[in-house]
Amino acid sequence: MRTIVCGENIVKSYGAAGEQRNVLNGVSAQIGEGEFVSVMGPSGSGKSTLLFALSGMDGIDGGTVSFDSMDLSGLGENALADLRRRRMGFVFQQPTLLKNLNVLDNIILPSMRDNRRAAAELTDRARVLMLKTGIAGLEERNITQLSGGQLQRAGICRALMGNPQVIFGDEPTGALNSATAQEIMDIFSGICADGTAVLLVTHDAKVAAQTERILYMRDGSIVSELRMAKFGGSGLEERIRKVNGRMQEIGI
Amino acid sequence: MYYKIIRNDIAASKLVTLTTTVFVAAAAMLVSLAAILIVNLPGAIDTLMTQAKTPHFMQMHSGDVNTDRLADFARENGNVDQFQVREFLNVESSRILFNGNSLAGSVQDNGLSTQSEAFDYLLGLDGKVIQVSDGEIYVPLAYMKDGTAKIGDKAEIAGQAFTVAGFLRDSQMNSLLASSKRFLVSHQDYAELAHSGSIEYLIEFRLKDLSGLNAFEAEYAAAGLEANGPALTYPLFKMLNAISDGLTAGILLLISVLVVAIAFMCIRFTLLAKIEDDYREIGVMKALGLRVADIKKMYLAKYTAIAAAGCAAGYILSLVFKGMLLENIRLYMGVSSNSSIALPVGIAGVLLVFLAIVAYVNIVLNRFRDISAVEAIRFGTSQQDSSAGTKRFRLSRSRLLNTNIFLGIKDVLARKKLYLTMLAVLVIAAFIIIVPQNLYHTISAPGFSTYLGIGQSDLRLDIQQTDDIAGKTAEIAKAMHSDSAISKYTVLTTKTFRARTPDGLEERLKIELGDHTVFPVHYSQGTAPVLGNELALSALNADELGLQVGDDLTLMLLDKETPATFTVSGIYSDVTNGGKTAKAAFTGGSADIMWSVIYTELADSSLAAAKAAEYGERFAFAKVSDIEEYIAQTFGSTMSSVHRTSQAGLVVALLITVLVTLLFMNMLAVKDRYSIAVLKTCGFTGPDITLQYVARAVFVLVLGIAAGTLLANTLGESLAGLVISRLGAASFEFAVRPLAVYVLVPLMMAGAVLIATLLGTAGAGRIQIAEQLKE
Repeated sequence: MRTIVCGENIVKSYGAAGEQRNVLNGVSAQIGEGEFVSVMGPSGSGKSTLLFALSGMDGIDGGTVSFDSMDLSGLGENALADLRRRRMGFVFQQPTLLKNLNVLDNIILPSMRDNRRAAAELTDRARVLMLKTGIAGLEERNITQLSGGQLQRAGICRALMGNPQVIFGDEPTGALNSATAQEIMDIFSGICADGTAVLLVTHDAKVAAQTERILYMRDGSIVSELRMAKFGGSGLEERIRKVNGRMQEIGI
Repeated sequence: MYYKIIRNDIAASKLVTLTTTVFVAAAAMLVSLAAILIVNLPGAIDTLMTQAKTPHFMQMHSGDVNTDRLADFARENGNVDQFQVREFLNVESSRILFNGNSLAGSVQDNGLSTQSEAFDYLLGLDGKVIQVSDGEIYVPLAYMKDGTAKIGDKAEIAGQAFTVAGFLRDSQMNSLLASSKRFLVSHQDYAELAHSGSIEYLIEFRLKDLSGLNAFEAEYAAAGLEANGPALTYPLFKMLNAISDGLTAGILLLISVLVVAIAFMCIRFTLLAKIEDDYREIGVMKALGLRVADIKKMYLAKYTAIAAAGCAAGYILSLVFKGMLLENIRLYMGVSSNSSIALPVGIAGVLLVFLAIVAYVNIVLNRFRDISAVEAIRFGTSQQDSSAGTKRFRLSRSRLLNTNIFLGIKDVLARKKLYLTMLAVLVIAAFIIIVPQNLYHTISAPGFSTYLGIGQSDLRLDIQQTDDIAGKTAEIAKAMHSDSAISKYTVLTTKTFRARTPDGLEERLKIELGDHTVFPVHYSQGTAPVLGNELALSALNADELGLQVGDDLTLMLLDKETPATFTVSGIYSDVTNGGKTAKAAFTGGSADIMWSVIYTELADSSLAAAKAAEYGERFAFAKVSDIEEYIAQTFGSTMSSVHRTSQAGLVVALLITVLVTLLFMNMLAVKDRYSIAVLKTCGFTGPDITLQYVARAVFVLVLGIAAGTLLANTLGESLAGLVISRLGAASFEFAVRPLAVYVLVPLMMAGAVLIATLLGTAGAGRIQIAEQLKE
């Protein structure tokens, strides 16, 4: 499997000089093409920091991060923005849609930045994605008129508009009820099946249990890794037990 | 607790707090200055006119005077308190020299006078009645201001030597708008010079009851007494004394209203932004059971502190600058009788600003009532759909606009209320720039004299206060006829007729006879008189006689008793001869000629000054004025004030534009940091974000300039018309210089807005995604 995202010995610290605290202590992690990976760990373990570092959204203080064999440290602000727009997608716990735009405009926004003349094609693609994620018909709605689940689906559609090679999700189901969360996970599984890698940060064992590889973090380091077969829709209880079992083993 | 809240809040938003305080201070300073000026001005005028015992009614008269008849009239009229006939010795300006330089270029009628014994005193700069010794001359203040003379200078009047002993305040003729200037000499010197010029009589009355002035004026006219010259009254003298500083006070008040409005808008914007920022916290406080009044107090505390600091600073600044503002009043009129209450009134003005700000903040904070605790806690922002009316403006349908520009415009449309503040400031800024510029351009345009009753020509020759006016005028006309440098000229002769209105009112009317189509003035209504039975009236006369265009008026023409009916063909503005004039095309009538005027156009206008000098020398009995020079001297100080105002307006407006745009854009960038982070996760770059802010600013700017220009050319024109009407013009239209107003002003404002936007949003592109979005 070809590696898409690769972090080697990542160090990230916060705080003023002399009082710095390492949030990531030399973490290494890889994500392969079309792979479904999750990161678990207690609050403050460095999960989200790792996700932001691997995606290039936050700078690092040591180590390297590369995307498709390209060293991100060598890229300028604009090149990183281009990379995020054209080859990555992002989904957060709180829906990050713009209040001024309707749902459709929010979804096509990043793609329109590059190719506004293709508005018709982009609109068609957005409609297909909306159909796939179950929010067809909401195109003209203002985002204040959508539920949390619908907003998250719209966010996923936006992340998928540029055919990204990887989607980064920071607790994307954290603010949803369990039924809606499961629907969102089904969408992520489908995305992976289509060949896009997904890296999720989560607290939820049920969410992690549906991914193929789980990275366990504690105090800024990956302390364990659990590999499982692709989730086919059955045997979820067993997978959850495994995820929790590993957590107990390593004491987190 | 409030101290802590204020301190933390100010520390978190230093730029915003400072800018708001600066605007409040400026507003307070201007209000205080305007109040101080408004209190001082009438007091100073009263002091001057009381000390000088200014006449309540004055009739100027050239020609013989029957003093006994006038004295009889005064004795028999129950309202006359004091009466005197004073002489004004009109001396040819070229025969008045200071240190060897003559006043030949002056358009003023300069002359000598002695000190009065009863009233109409000429005062020294100490406010006392001047006692002048032989060989001394006291000079009108205007000549001190323009540097013509200083104390100790050698003066020469018609060959007789004098020493400038001081300067005088003339309660009638201080203003440059008064066309005569009186120099004070001793009775002895006056007697020696009495034959060096023509004598004009000032027939002056002080009344027991000033409210009976109009009736007295009518009685004087009806008595058929000496009236070969303009008649002037106490209120007119008062107005002439008030006009220049009154205008300054008016402009100050207008600007202070605008600055107060800007200060209010800054406060509104920062408050709205703060409320949006603290939406969730406000919701939590409400949920915890805090009353709206308690929450309001926390926000009110900061703005009360800003208002107090700004107002205190503004008042102190007004004390620093008041000297500059009162200098002119002190010089021309002396110390105001009201000066002791000026400072308390200034404090009252500043207090008013303070209370207005606190009340305004209180009103804006009433929005807390509309915040739903549940909604605020759940969503953190207002869920009101603000994009109403912008739904049709969709990214998916926007193929022409760059996505960043689309986002910029969309943001403005979606958050109209927020941007309304910036829009209003830009409208005001455009207004402040354009109106004084248009006004200056209009009054400095060659055609402006036509608004004032002076035809647009190159030279004007006045033949008056001489014998055989008709013959002398014909002599000049003959010379002009054969002068190839003169392309056209017209002779206008003024005579006095008795006029009777349809409702029986009888008036003496000065009518300028001749062809009024050669150098037409601007008619606010109707047209110039062309037919023999047509008559045009000055606005003042039309007003007084109650006549409109098309109305009839009966004049006593031949033998002064033969009535003839005339129709009013037009109404025009006039500032000459007391503003009460008329024009007609007929010739003849048996009345005596009062004066003649010849208007002349040269083949080459640039030779006007040389030609004026040539004719002045050749026909010493005529007063020859180069019209441009005439306008420059009469309205020069007004024009230069307006020019200075327009330049100051430009600087102030651009400064306001930069400050307010900087403030708004900086606040917006801080407020929008979450949205900026979202856009950055979507792959928008720093320059993309900057372009979005520039698009917002430019969009608001375009609307602001359009509205500002429109307002300047409508409301501004009316306001400028009010100013111009003070100068005597009844109707008025802006003469717009399109390149300046439609190209240069927008370019300058665009430059200011762009610089401020780039500075204000410099940090926006550098916002770290992780800091904003990491849970």
